[in-house]
Amino acid sequence: MEQLLDFSKGPLFRLTFAIMVLGLARIFVLDLYEAYRAYRRAGDKTLPWKQITLRSLTWLFPVRQVFKNRPVYSVFSILFHIGLLVVPVFLYAHVILWKDDLGFGIPTLPYQWAYGLTVLTIVSALALIIGRAASRSSSFLSRKQDYLWPVVLLIPFVTGFICAHLGVGPRTYQFFMLVHILAAELIFVLIPFTKIAHCVLMPLSQFIANLAWKFPPDTDEKICITLNKKGEPV
Amino acid sequence: MNRVQTTKTFLWFILGLASAVGITRFIFGLGATTNLSDATPWGLWIGFDVLSGVSLAAGGFVITALFYVMRREEFHPFVKPAVLTAFLGYVAVVVGLLFDLGLPWNIWHMIIFWNPHSPLFEVGWCVMLYTTVLLLEFSPVPLEEFSRYARIRNFLMKFRFPLILLGIMLSTLHQSSLGSLFLIMPFKLHPLWYSNILPIHFFVSAIALGFMMVIFESLVSHWLYLKDSETDRIARLAKIAVWVLGVYFVLRIGDIALSGELGLIFSGSWEAGLFITEMLVSTILPVIIFSIPKLRYNHRWQWVGSIMVVFGMVFNRINVGGLTMIRATGDIYLPSWMEIVVSMGVVSGAVLVFMFAIEKFHIWEERPRHPEAYPFAPAAFDRASGAWLGSPLMAAGTRYSLAFVFSFAIGFALIPDTKIHSEGAETIPVVRARGGDTLFVDGNFNNYGVTFKHLLHTEITKNEQGCATCHHMNIPLDKNSGCWECHKKMFTPTDIFNHDWHSSAAGAAIPCRVCHPAGQQRRMETAKKCDACHLDLFVQNSPVKADGYMAVAYTDAMHTLCVPCHVKKATELADKPDLGLCPACHNINPPQERLELLKYGRTERSLKPVILPPQKSSN
Repeated sequence: MEQLLDFSKGPLFRLTFAIMVLGLARIFVLDLYEAYRAYRRAGDKTLPWKQITLRSLTWLFPVRQVFKNRPVYSVFSILFHIGLLVVPVFLYAHVILWKDDLGFGIPTLPYQWAYGLTVLTIVSALALIIGRAASRSSSFLSRKQDYLWPVVLLIPFVTGFICAHLGVGPRTYQFFMLVHILAAELIFVLIPFTKIAHCVLMPLSQFIANLAWKFPPDTDEKICITLNKKGEPV
Repeated sequence: MNRVQTTKTFLWFILGLASAVGITRFIFGLGATTNLSDATPWGLWIGFDVLSGVSLAAGGFVITALFYVMRREEFHPFVKPAVLTAFLGYVAVVVGLLFDLGLPWNIWHMIIFWNPHSPLFEVGWCVMLYTTVLLLEFSPVPLEEFSRYARIRNFLMKFRFPLILLGIMLSTLHQSSLGSLFLIMPFKLHPLWYSNILPIHFFVSAIALGFMMVIFESLVSHWLYLKDSETDRIARLAKIAVWVLGVYFVLRIGDIALSGELGLIFSGSWEAGLFITEMLVSTILPVIIFSIPKLRYNHRWQWVGSIMVVFGMVFNRINVGGLTMIRATGDIYLPSWMEIVVSMGVVSGAVLVFMFAIEKFHIWEERPRHPEAYPFAPAAFDRASGAWLGSPLMAAGTRYSLAFVFSFAIGFALIPDTKIHSEGAETIPVVRARGGDTLFVDGNFNNYGVTFKHLLHTEITKNEQGCATCHHMNIPLDKNSGCWECHKKMFTPTDIFNHDWHSSAAGAAIPCRVCHPAGQQRRMETAKKCDACHLDLFVQNSPVKADGYMAVAYTDAMHTLCVPCHVKKATELADKPDLGLCPACHNINPPQERLELLKYGRTERSLKPVILPPQKSSN
């Protein structure tokens, strides 16, 4: 158990964390580069830049959009995102680990806030699963991974809550801590390769969606060549 | 995936590993990444990256000399790739050298602070100038692609011939001066390699290696890009190379014979084995292969011969660079995996740039055929998800970047924790003070310690706090614990609390709530103090107050405890004015007490038995 904990805190953490950071950077750069190439080839280079910027920003902080469609679900979704981002980054117990290794830390959450946000995240994750399953239209659109993701994301929160706020014995503590770390590392690895990649791709989405309809001037001819039907009418 | 893409993926993978290690090297230094030591300060990065790198890049000057000076027109197709290889080779040498230099940011010093007596000065200047010359020699090729730079290109083309002559001259200078570097170590380098004409050996072997690198490169390009093979042209080049290799062989053996050391070759020693292997692989066998016309014109034998010379000459540089010095230094050096990975990464990077240039610019007579350069190639789809990966170029980029990300992460994970987290100072465990009433305090066991009259000090401190004047803390279940029981390391602090042992199920198995109160952040400041459980931990009335969970280094503990008191007493006692000075404790000559300490049957009154110094295996 001890060795497993040490391994998951040391080499395994570095492996998965590097995969997450570099993997996210990779898809971001690849997306941006492909978008740049598409833009360079495009016959019509006019893009509604102002609209794209405004929409990207409003969707980054979707306060106005909340009450338009399924307000309860939206509110829980926003709360879930806040908890998901704030708790792991600003938790005292996490910051102290960075501080020990890097020599500097960031401001931390007060104890009561950490407690409350963790509970809130757990509750809203459960609400999201229920909301997804209960609504016919969204359950029709959902894949298996859409149900699985909130559950996977919950594991570190639940185990972390047990370790931090419940008075458990050392053996139980170590077990839950191991589950906590391994689940977080699983999430790290999955982030760049699944839909959670929207954490970096989201700001690009409006831009790329607009760009997708700008074809190069001789697209129709090239499609014909690719399909071995050169010279035929489109 | 085709051959080019598989190769590129592999190269990107190595580059990823090397990047992780390279970052570690620049953040945590040479000690964290290499096995270099004071006895072996030049390792793989010098032997392979620099010495071999420079000679592997010799193809540039050899082929330009052959084509432009000797007017051998049939070798024209070799010129551009050879110059490109030379340029990339030199850039790789410079990058490799930056890894090896302790203070790489001071590399510009040689431009301003001249030391014209040093061969390294000559090497540094020549490499710097020659890399510039190569850049100018090669830049017309990429400039060809952009019409707006046509004037610059025409300008450079005008100065082509002087540039090429300058390049040949500079190469001649520093290929040989790399050999001159080793003239300074006649006693370190084995006599089979050491010679007064070592610079000439280096120069001649670099010419031979230059030919072979051009051949090797042509063969690899043929294999990789399915290019038309150049068997006839290679054979003609090999014919010239045989003569150069022959001259090299005569030089080496003749030199050894003249100095009367031929017997050493057959002495059967380890070095003799190295020498015979090196000469066989680098010279004798290739000369035989390329002298027989039937083999010389055979594609497979060309592979065999050129690989032999390349490996043999690299082996020669490694031998000179350090492998044959082991007997003299007595320090067995094996490069760490991190050194090997960085060397491979530098080479991979150079090869990737080479492939990029081959695909983008007009280096060969015809552009290579491969899918990334072909605009109408069928779309690539991800095998697992079936997702479209973008244009062929992007699909390939997806793959390379994935290889890079994973290998970087693996490299990052493999770097040993202990080396990164070291404080830079070597951890030296403290040995307890030896003796009885007179103690010999010598924490790091180098026999350069302090004789401490314990009995005398107990009498002096009787009127003060007694034992508690110095003894301030006990380890649990103990009384009068010695200094060394907490201050366990000579120059670095010791964690005497060990949180993880207390909380671990295999250790003390104490639940968090025992020390950390519920409903609060679990931090050091709010936790219960040690003496809440360990009642006898702190010695009462002791003027020394220990706080925190770290015990300072042994040397710090001794000095902060003894010095203030000694300084104070020096002013109080009229007969001992020198008490506060260093020699009061640190005697240059071993005092009588220490010699007495090592004798049995001392006349002094003793309360404790004499503890003999523990045996240490070496030193």
